[in-house]
Amino acid sequence: MFHAERFIEKTISTLQKEITSKALIAFSGGVDSTVCTALVNKAIGEQLIAVHVDTGYMRKSESEQVKQMMESLGLNYRYITASKEFYQALKGVQDPEKKRKIIGERFIRIFEQVGRKEKIDYLVQGTIAPDWIESGGGLRDTIKSHHNVGGLPKDMKLKLVEPLRDLYKDEVRQVARALHLQFSERQPFPGPGLAIRIIGEATPERTRLVREACDIVEKEIERASEKGIMELPWQYFAVLIPIKTVGVHGDKRAYGNTIAIRAVQSVDAMTCHYSTIPHQVLDTISTKITNTLKEKVNRIVYDVTNKPPGTVEWE
Amino acid sequence: MVRIYVIDNGGQWTHREWRTLRDLEVETRIVPNITPLKELQKEHIHGLVLSGGAPRIGLDGTLGNCAEYLDLADFPILGICAGHQFMARHFGGNVTPSELPEFGQVELTLCVDDDPVFAGVPKKSIVWESHNDEVTKLPKDFTKLGESENCKIQAMRHKKKQLYGLQFHPEVEHTQFGEHIFKNFIKLCGE
Repeated sequence: MFHAERFIEKTISTLQKEITSKALIAFSGGVDSTVCTALVNKAIGEQLIAVHVDTGYMRKSESEQVKQMMESLGLNYRYITASKEFYQALKGVQDPEKKRKIIGERFIRIFEQVGRKEKIDYLVQGTIAPDWIESGGGLRDTIKSHHNVGGLPKDMKLKLVEPLRDLYKDEVRQVARALHLQFSERQPFPGPGLAIRIIGEATPERTRLVREACDIVEKEIERASEKGIMELPWQYFAVLIPIKTVGVHGDKRAYGNTIAIRAVQSVDAMTCHYSTIPHQVLDTISTKITNTLKEKVNRIVYDVTNKPPGTVEWE
Repeated sequence: MVRIYVIDNGGQWTHREWRTLRDLEVETRIVPNITPLKELQKEHIHGLVLSGGAPRIGLDGTLGNCAEYLDLADFPILGICAGHQFMARHFGGNVTPSELPEFGQVELTLCVDDDPVFAGVPKKSIVWESHNDEVTKLPKDFTKLGESENCKIQAMRHKKKQLYGLQFHPEVEHTQFGEHIFKNFIKLCGE
């Protein structure tokens, strides 16, 4: 069995030996990076600097919340706004692998800048097992290049430290609970953010649409689960499919995009079953999204694919 | 403590096999498939799992030293997906691209009721799959243990040696009796 307490003890002592000077942690505010931060903080304390990058592909108010999290955890942190840089880097890019690699590289370049300025030698990342498994290498096929593994540039100057490499999400949550972190149950959110929830080019306008749709899906599903209408899925969100179909909006022809609702049950992200969302909840989500996004979106579909054959995120 | 290693053929779920064994208190490690058998014997292992593999290697790949393990090992071996396909090919069976590949949820039907690896598993259960190729002809020294609607050889075993092949994936969370099958295999290795 996996023993969270034993893992914490062993990891802290390994980190104390491994990290001999200042370290930077890539802090997204998700469970993986938060657990990783707590462990490294225990191991090297003041020597750790947490860096959060607002890529422009975060969810509604997310980066603000992350800032508060870093405050409440008492971290020595840097908050970097880089949305213009990310939008520019992804301009005209449609291929999902290219998107992931460009984002991965952008992150590292920003971390390197901070590293040079503050004389930091180590980069700590909350990489977990599915990240490196799916990124491939050696005998293994590349399913998708996770930005923190397959997206790392080859000439990276920082030394990489990844204490959670052998863990799956359920085990990371066990560690989070053992560390009494209040964010232990947050749903997973991919490092490349909303950029991979937009099929095709991730423009600022499309990001606005999918951000709004994700917010509605999250709020309505959370409300329904609080009321006991449905079980809270393991992960739940919206995907923007920039395929236009015909609709009718107030006696007027509409020709807008499509939004897919995705929700899955899983333990470790290696296999997933799509979640059963009651029709009344789907109905509310559908109406809210189309009313809120007006002429931009006039069709909602519900993704009923397991993993395999699909993956959780669409890209 | 029972010691069972996982031979890495490059599957997506190799690390899940390691995790399942570790969760069941087995002493385990993932080792590359080019590890010589002698080195494994030096570590006094009680059994091996041959993992699934990179795309299509079950069809015609050599899978490192897996042939040596199958020929010379005196402990039980469990081949999964590409590991199972390779085992079938190695002993004279046939592997071909599936007419209807299986991804995700499938119903497994057992064909025997007295096999130790399937002890306590009901005749019909849900298993999860992910394969493009399959065993279409059983090697002559093997017995068929299970099938599904679209894949007639889902599970097999050697008639004399403790060599098992499974097309489905007992290591993933969604396979209904996956952990149970692993427990049975661990018991076999411990005896």
